[in-house]
Amino acid sequence: MLKRVLKEPLVHFLALALAIFAGYALVGAGERQERIVVTAPKIEQMATLFTKTWQRPPSAAELKGLIDDYVKEEVLVRQALALGLDRDDAVVRRRLRQKMEFLNTADAEALEPTDAELEAYLTSNADAFRIEGMLAFEQVFLSPQRHGGRAREDAGSILQILLSDPKANRSLLGDATLLPPEAALSDSASITQTFGADFAKALDQAPLDQWIGPVVSGFGLHLVRVTERVPDRTPSLGEVRDAVAREWTNARRSELEDQQFAKLLGGYTVTIESLAGKETGR
Amino acid sequence: MAIAAASLAASFIAPASYSAEGGDIGTLTPEKADKAFAGKPVYSPYAGRNFPTRPLFGDTHLHTGASFDAGAFGARLTPRDAYRFARGEEVMASSGQPAKLSRPLDFLVVADHSDNMGMFTDLFAGKPEVIADPQAKTWYEEIKNGQGGKAALEIIFAFGKGTLPQSMIYGRDTRPYKNAWQDTIKAAEEYNDPGRFTAFIGYEWTSNTAGNNLHRNVIFRDNADKAEQVLPYTTLKPLGSDNPRDLWKWMQAYEEKTGGNVLAIAHNGNLSNGRMFPLIESFTNKPVDKDYVEERARWERLYETTQTKGTGEAHPALSPNDEFADFEIWDFGNLDASVKKTPDMLEFEYTRSALRNGLKLEAQLGTNPYKFGLVGSSDAHTGLSAMEEENFFGKTTPQEPSPERLTATFVKDDKTGITVMDWEVGASGYAAVWATENTRESIWDAMQRKETYGTTGSRMMVRFFGGWDFAPADAETRNPGAIGYDKGVPMGGDLTKAPDGKVPTFLVAALKDPIGANLDRYQIVKGWLDDKGDTHEQIYDVAWAGDRKPGADGKLPSVGSTVDIGNATWTNTIGAPELIAVWTDPDFDPTLKAFYYGRVIEIPTPRWTAYDVKRFGNKPLEGTSMTVTERAYTSPIWYTP
Repeated sequence: MLKRVLKEPLVHFLALALAIFAGYALVGAGERQERIVVTAPKIEQMATLFTKTWQRPPSAAELKGLIDDYVKEEVLVRQALALGLDRDDAVVRRRLRQKMEFLNTADAEALEPTDAELEAYLTSNADAFRIEGMLAFEQVFLSPQRHGGRAREDAGSILQILLSDPKANRSLLGDATLLPPEAALSDSASITQTFGADFAKALDQAPLDQWIGPVVSGFGLHLVRVTERVPDRTPSLGEVRDAVAREWTNARRSELEDQQFAKLLGGYTVTIESLAGKETGR
Repeated sequence: MAIAAASLAASFIAPASYSAEGGDIGTLTPEKADKAFAGKPVYSPYAGRNFPTRPLFGDTHLHTGASFDAGAFGARLTPRDAYRFARGEEVMASSGQPAKLSRPLDFLVVADHSDNMGMFTDLFAGKPEVIADPQAKTWYEEIKNGQGGKAALEIIFAFGKGTLPQSMIYGRDTRPYKNAWQDTIKAAEEYNDPGRFTAFIGYEWTSNTAGNNLHRNVIFRDNADKAEQVLPYTTLKPLGSDNPRDLWKWMQAYEEKTGGNVLAIAHNGNLSNGRMFPLIESFTNKPVDKDYVEERARWERLYETTQTKGTGEAHPALSPNDEFADFEIWDFGNLDASVKKTPDMLEFEYTRSALRNGLKLEAQLGTNPYKFGLVGSSDAHTGLSAMEEENFFGKTTPQEPSPERLTATFVKDDKTGITVMDWEVGASGYAAVWATENTRESIWDAMQRKETYGTTGSRMMVRFFGGWDFAPADAETRNPGAIGYDKGVPMGGDLTKAPDGKVPTFLVAALKDPIGANLDRYQIVKGWLDDKGDTHEQIYDVAWAGDRKPGADGKLPSVGSTVDIGNATWTNTIGAPELIAVWTDPDFDPTLKAFYYGRVIEIPTPRWTAYDVKRFGNKPLEGTSMTVTERAYTSPIWYTP
């Protein structure tokens, strides 16, 4: 039991912390004795950071290195503050401003939208969440290299076969190509990704369950049949809850920031001098 | 009528072999064909599912303002902006101009530098004592006075040399660093949309000792629950290291602890000054050992062979017989231009020579450390993965579209006399992955099995299958992909022990980018290890547009060019939209180790510089290249006796 306790990393930290504390408690910073206390939670934090990186706790030497560095930083930061190095420093100001903004928006992170709020957001921003229409189709491809000037004529002959014999073996018609012979339900964007925009547009206007063509793409000629169509629609909240929650949070975040700022601004009287030296109140 | 038409169809569409009853294994029968086209695809839980027959395009290597150097250069975009842009939304670039892709990408890895992650502003802002360091004070004032670009370059080089003032070394002060990492993870979680768009969690480990680039991008297969348990590995002591062996240890520790999966992708061997693919390790000056080759093969499954800072497939000095090797080459020196390149370094920097040396090491040590697949990616530091020539948003924020970027300097070192101009930065590249679904798991798994290829920015569809029984008729089938998987292994795969009397055969196919240029040719690059222990390479043209005939020297004549540089236009009147062929290795020796990979070359098109001249109307510098032949590089298939 005692053995196990002695193996506990936390016990090591505490022991080390005590040792360091004893060491630094007596160290002075010149004329006036300032105290630097490296607290046990601080050491634990450093050790946790190490453990997160390395997936193992630090050795005593490693931990000492981390603590020494922290002490050095603490000394320098205090000296810098004492010298007023933080005042009138554009970058320090920007950092403080960032931290305030972060504090203001941190509240937004904690906000849990209710279903009613999300429903309302979805309704008023329906367009952003619209689920695109989709279609499934089959296609037979004719390569311009293989058919040359006869491509359209040959496409016509194949179209005749497809129209007159629904059972025609399509794997014997058309040319070799990496383009898929059929596509499951896909939206216009993903059809465009593979076949190009003109082809996708032509499919949008194609009748259902009817071979048509030739449709021209950047690759050659296609005979196509749309086999299924799902029109575009506004989804229910359940389908897009995460996306709505994300956008709602983003919107709330900037809203809150503006509100926070307006509240803070209310505590100030701002006087803006114009360049000519005239004052304009606001 | 129907009957007549049917016989017509049979006469010009069906090669004779189709109708041969129960032909040999290389023949597609109607029964087999029907099987390949079996009914309706299975129902997918994902709406808007893409065809399983198309590769997914993405970028494995993008920086945002959270990268300390990108921030220094003025990048203000966040990981969220980067994901929005990659999904196809319009965003406002840091330079204040709207930016939008011609079409969405399928996936993105925001890979910000782990050192000083999210820290650029903090570096100066949160630490007043930084100004106590005279060097830091100088940079700080430069940034305040609008010379941020100059300061940023110096900071990056100082980081590489390890001379960054101690006060500026970030990463031990816990909270902001953790915030940056958690924010990175959170952004990826928010924008990951399985089935439509994959947002990977990742980071870049930027080992850059003395300016020699050994960078790796680490990509997680996992979600936040696992990634949050660790902090990214850095290069700065005491927590980090610049030795890749230590990165591999970190990866192993992550996997053991969380049960998750990570892989690493190295890039820019061309800026490593002979250290990227070593036979002699730079950290020990000893030959690489068994441990090194096994670990490297295990963790580094892919290599980023093309990106903005030069393309690294081959070098003209290493491959004098390859007329396409001289492509967007950066061979001046190391990353910060502090040490000039010497010819002896090249062999250990380029993809093809690494693949060759890998065979050598495998013969000596039993494992091939350089058995990697290929991808391209951007390495853009703008938050914008925009790598098309006519829509190129540069590598860093100062290189976003403007009249200045045609004539500005990218890097200059007075001591070495090295100067690299902005016009030399390439609009490259993307990673293409043959994944079955657009999810983290599926794409990561395809990367792990190396079923990937890289492009220099165009989105051509490329297939490369190897097997023992591909026959010419297979290039005539309606669905080459189905036949390829059926009779062979895809890119990234292995062929072992040739069956008696058999020779490797390859089914190759490439389809042009739907909105891009036609294709010139499909080549196979072969490398092998002879019985004396020396390596060789040979390039074969296996499919090409038009009726060109190879000349007396065995070389195919040029496809020509339709580029009108002044107007930045071209026409698809030359080249072919699609190339499909079956190729049999004419020089096969079943006792020798070999690799084969595909290289697809487009017809010439205007380079981004030509579009800039056209749009901004200013004059380019002498020697600026104005055309480009975009290309794709497939992962190899290895033959092991």
